[in-house]
Amino acid sequence: MNVHPAAWVVWTLCGGLVALATTNPFYLILVFAAAWVVHAAHRHPGPGIRSFGIFASFGLLTIATRTALVFFGPVSRGSVVAAMLEGARLAVMLVVYGTFNSVSDPWRLLRLAPRRFHEPALASVLALSIAPRMIDAGVRVREAQRLRGIHAGRLRNMPALAVPVLSTGMEEAVTLAESMDARGHGRGRRSRYRSDPWNVPSWLTVVAGTIPLAYVAAMVWTGSPLTMPAYPLGWPEVSLGAVAALIALALPALVPPADPIEPA
Amino acid sequence: MNQALRVSDVTFTYPESETPALKDVSFDLPEGTFALITGATGAGKSTLLRAMNGLVPHFTGGEWSGRVLVQGRDTLEHAPRALADVVAYVPQDPSASFVVDVVEDELAYAMENLGSTQAVMRRRVEETLDLLDVEHLRARSVRSLSGGERQRVAIAAALTAGARVLLLDEPTSQLDPQGAEDVLAALQRLVHDHGLTVMIAEHRLERVAGFVDIALGCVSGRVEVGEVRAILEWTGAGPPVHRLGHTLGWSPLPLTVREARRSAAASGIILDDDDRAAFPRAGEVVLSTTHPLTASYGARVALEGIELDLRAGEIVALMGRNGAGKTTLLRCLCGLHAPDLGEVNAPGGEPEPGANVALCPQMPDNVLFKETVAQEVQVTLDARRIETNGPPRARSRRRAEDVLRELGLLDLAAAHPRDLSAGQRLLVAVAAIAATGAPVLLLDEPTRGLDPESKSRLSAMLRAYVREGRVVVFATHDVELVASLAGRVVMLAGGRVIADGRPEDVIGDSAVFAPQTARVFGPRWLTPERVAEAMSS
Amino acid sequence: MRPSALRFFVLLVANLVGVAAFAWPFLLPAAVGTDTAHGIDAPWIFAGLLLCLGTLLFVELGRGGLGPKTVALLGVLGAAMVALRLPGFVAGFSAMFIVVLVAGNAFGPGFGFVLGAVGTMASGLFVGGLGPWLPFQMVAVGWMGLGAGLLPRSGRSRIPALAAYGFVAGFLFGAVMNLWFWPFAAGSSELGWDPAAGSIDNLWRYVTFYMATSGWWDSARAVGNAVMVVVLGGPLLAALDRASRRMRLHVRPRIIEVGAGRAAAARSSLRVEESPDSTGQDAGEFPRRSDPRTVPQKTNRPASAG
Repeated sequence: MNVHPAAWVVWTLCGGLVALATTNPFYLILVFAAAWVVHAAHRHPGPGIRSFGIFASFGLLTIATRTALVFFGPVSRGSVVAAMLEGARLAVMLVVYGTFNSVSDPWRLLRLAPRRFHEPALASVLALSIAPRMIDAGVRVREAQRLRGIHAGRLRNMPALAVPVLSTGMEEAVTLAESMDARGHGRGRRSRYRSDPWNVPSWLTVVAGTIPLAYVAAMVWTGSPLTMPAYPLGWPEVSLGAVAALIALALPALVPPADPIEPA
Repeated sequence: MNQALRVSDVTFTYPESETPALKDVSFDLPEGTFALITGATGAGKSTLLRAMNGLVPHFTGGEWSGRVLVQGRDTLEHAPRALADVVAYVPQDPSASFVVDVVEDELAYAMENLGSTQAVMRRRVEETLDLLDVEHLRARSVRSLSGGERQRVAIAAALTAGARVLLLDEPTSQLDPQGAEDVLAALQRLVHDHGLTVMIAEHRLERVAGFVDIALGCVSGRVEVGEVRAILEWTGAGPPVHRLGHTLGWSPLPLTVREARRSAAASGIILDDDDRAAFPRAGEVVLSTTHPLTASYGARVALEGIELDLRAGEIVALMGRNGAGKTTLLRCLCGLHAPDLGEVNAPGGEPEPGANVALCPQMPDNVLFKETVAQEVQVTLDARRIETNGPPRARSRRRAEDVLRELGLLDLAAAHPRDLSAGQRLLVAVAAIAATGAPVLLLDEPTRGLDPESKSRLSAMLRAYVREGRVVVFATHDVELVASLAGRVVMLAGGRVIADGRPEDVIGDSAVFAPQTARVFGPRWLTPERVAEAMSS
Repeated sequence: MRPSALRFFVLLVANLVGVAAFAWPFLLPAAVGTDTAHGIDAPWIFAGLLLCLGTLLFVELGRGGLGPKTVALLGVLGAAMVALRLPGFVAGFSAMFIVVLVAGNAFGPGFGFVLGAVGTMASGLFVGGLGPWLPFQMVAVGWMGLGAGLLPRSGRSRIPALAAYGFVAGFLFGAVMNLWFWPFAAGSSELGWDPAAGSIDNLWRYVTFYMATSGWWDSARAVGNAVMVVVLGGPLLAALDRASRRMRLHVRPRIIEVGAGRAAAARSSLRVEESPDSTGQDAGEFPRRSDPRTVPQKTNRPASAG
């Protein structure tokens, strides 16, 4: 059962906004846990396989940076804690995006593009398809130039590496354009060969994102506290309703992961 | 019978050109024909092909007069994209023409553009996969395919839109013999079993001459249409048996080995096949292996027990199926790949790539980055000078011209390398590598996509190069080039040397590798030129 | 199709909206909330910013009518950006920027913007690095390409101008990219955005924040850009100019109508063999022959392989 990529986008945007909305450490931990659980359940091989860890590291870096900035002004226990929490909300938002990267597949994301954006999306598809070939070409060009006695790794000799790769790429672009033109590019209304069905797990994922966001929005509207009091330092208020809403963010973890053999 | 193509008085000139690329071209092509466009490079083959689906003039610009009707549709009134469901086009380098990564999705691309429904798309994809015999490749990444498979996938991707006319630009020139056979067989099936009209531009005529129904000959923009034999004679190019027939005055000129054999029997020519000449290996050893070489990539053993020596003045052909180890051996000989066992003794000690052993890689475009051919050669000379602390750069310009003159390429000195044809670019790349003056020059598959004129210039270059006691080794599938150029053939299979000797002995009577003339008259007669010599004496 | 003046106006407004999405901390001095309410305003402001940028991208990228040549160029150059993003990673420097700089200069500001945006998105997808910064980064790199397209595109000042631009843009890019998260990152600290303070005061706070966090990081990018342009700019621009000419991006074929009278004359007729390997005699017509062995002249080669 594949979750529609658009559902993941909605979930991520909602989750990110929710994280950004609060500095209450308990709430932040809940969001982090939800992101982690969903990542563990749905991550799949692809370029995003290590994203969770990488984004989490960015998050730690953000916390450190933000905390360091405290020392530009008056320092107190409260200000340090507030600083760490302000960094933490950014970090948790990043972690939510880390989950997004590990569960989504770039090709399926690009298929999402509405017709109006077909051409930029197609250009991205092309870029992804051609990039590995270009990297290969770069390696081979460097070797070929070495066989002439030119060490293309040195700065002075960079043109010997860059120009053949780029020029060959440009020539291939002409062939590509011809082939696209001859196969009807720009002819009119396009259809889709593969479509991602919008199914129950996708609805579930969307709901899992909107419930927390709606609850937090309601809390803002009614003025309920979402932050941790820093001056003076004190325990934050935790509301059971908020906890329940935030736990809902983890609902997609209940969906069994997609069959790896299923075509992307 | 309906006409698939009706061409009337087409004259076309490219935007920056003064001479027309096509002059007063007129012909009709009935449906279900397999047509060949032949001619020298620059004569207009590619232009003619692309005029059949509107790429010329809509994509290229330029001045156009005349009319082309494809399945009844006028290319002037319909842009190429509007003709996608009528005529399919496969460019020369299919890997550059792929849009997505997965084979099945690539096939669907054309139909998505047409806005077909999913049901239609699925059915067509299945049909086309079977049509081109690529069903087992449907989930594969296009980058992982072999040359022949890629070509067939490109054909399939162009045909899913439902076209009944198929245009291909040099479909087999980049392929090894097996891949070429698969593609040609697929094209035959399309014409004979499914009634498609297929038009290919080719100059590797020994493979296709026997398959096609009619030929269109291009000479300087003029196009003549007619029977294959006659057109080949008119353009002056043809497979070796064609030249052979010409030499011996046979009529009609044979197109295939089978026809040539019949003509030979009919004309009663018998040539003395007895040839027990020894293989004198004169000349000093330039490069040798100490202890048998073994080389591997990770766990896979690519070469085993190779013992080889190269003597001054030799031109050696390295042959074998794909995967037999030719490229690995070349890389070991020039020092790019370290063997597991054994050592290579090059002049001056260890092989140093670019210094005492030079290798021209498979893709000449990877080497070209300067504005003129002379500068390309100059760059190499300057680079080598830095390595060897030689005389100052000021004189390298003249030196570059000397090198070009020695190799017979002086006429290209001022040209921009990327303005040249594929064959000419290879010559420039070889010159740029040869400028290192290395005693051993290796070439990896130089004959890919090479037109006959460039091929003969390459032969001349290599003969010039070995004059000063140097050695040339080239890896190739091109049997005819081996027959005309090589003095020695080394055959690899499964990483081992299975034959090493004169071409007459190694390929002369091989079932797979024998050149056409040898198949007619015997191992001693490798080329029509040798037969001509014998007849005149 | 809209007239181009209207089109230009729409694009200009869209870009101004984009600028506002980045520069809002300096433009909104009035109180949006009190100190303690900072934590609540942040996400909504962020969402608003995303919307603004989305509008900009929608207008710029969604124009449609990009023909196969443009799409193919975007694909190939975008691939170059993807390939170059990671290697040579030194602080803020990325080789990827040279592509945007030279391609923007060679093909124009519109192309430069789209290339910057598309290449950034593609490289994010390629490495699995789609983060909340993505729309901001797409626009920032797009602007870099757009700016390069406004510089001189020929003459002796071309390379120096591009190198200087690369240097300045290296810093500007970093400054602009920090801007969008500055209010969230610096928060209520001394260096953070203070809605109660004036524009100048906020600007000063930001500059301090910038120098403290990433000024040195971005100097690697600025210097790297300039060096790349100096070393590679000439040859790459030459290659792109050639490619642009040969691709004939703006092509209009000239059709010459010829009188119908000529059509009937000398049409080569055809004899088609039913089976391909027939050993038949040469029956019937041969095509007209010219000189017995016409050697094809090597003409002044037209730009495409013949």
